[in-house]
Amino acid sequence: MSGPRAHIVAALRRAAVPLAAYYAVTLALPLANGAAFAGARFAVHAMMVLVVPPAAIVLVCGCYALGRACLRAATSAAPAARHQ
Amino acid sequence: MRTRIVTAGAPKAQLAVAAAAMLIALALKQHYSDARADDLLWVLTPTAQLAGAMTGSPFTLQPGEGYLSRERLFLIEKSCAGVNFMIAAFGMLVFALFHRARTAVSAGSVLAVSLIAGYMAAVVVNAVRIAMAMWLAAHPVALSISSAAVHRLEGILVYFCGLMLLYEAVQRLDRRAPHWSGR
Repeated sequence: MSGPRAHIVAALRRAAVPLAAYYAVTLALPLANGAAFAGARFAVHAMMVLVVPPAAIVLVCGCYALGRACLRAATSAAPAARHQ
Repeated sequence: MRTRIVTAGAPKAQLAVAAAAMLIALALKQHYSDARADDLLWVLTPTAQLAGAMTGSPFTLQPGEGYLSRERLFLIEKSCAGVNFMIAAFGMLVFALFHRARTAVSAGSVLAVSLIAGYMAAVVVNAVRIAMAMWLAAHPVALSISSAAVHRLEGILVYFCGLMLLYEAVQRLDRRAPHWSGR
């Protein structure tokens, strides 16, 4: 595995402990206190809490990989242009 | 490669740390659930002062409500105290430093460092979140989602990034710092 996918997997692995701590406090504790009975309001909150952090990691990794690819393309194109 | 010295009392010390951390987290959660805004001044006051310094808009105490910025009409109330973030940060730090608990003294140090760092991180990250929320309120963006959803999204991102940065920082410091002897 290489490229952006490897970056994303590595970043998700690195974020596992903070993500677990965040989910424990924002989802597990309220669920243990009976927040599931709050209905749609808690469901919306849970969905956002579940999706946003991993989505942010994927987005940042994607931007990073794109930036690196652009930089690589620019640096490899520069010597070729100089030779012409 | 890192070496970890294991002493005979290590499992006992680690068990004590795990139990004490669980009790502290539950006690904090219980205190937060039962507390009124006035009972949370230990975290609201430094947060309001820091957020006030960041935004240049001072907050004044409103007994029973929290801290209010009259200039921006922004109230830092009980739900903005950041106690949940503090509990998450505390648990995460205990987990990250768990291997250092080998004696009674080092176990106590792990708990104390985690609690103090968790509290300080909660104040700083929460002040950043409030400053950003105030900025977003002053500069509304034309989006199809409501301002409440923007506020929630901002909270999730700031808190999660805060936890990530704190974890990275503690991992780096942990690699560099010598082990606590506890003697």
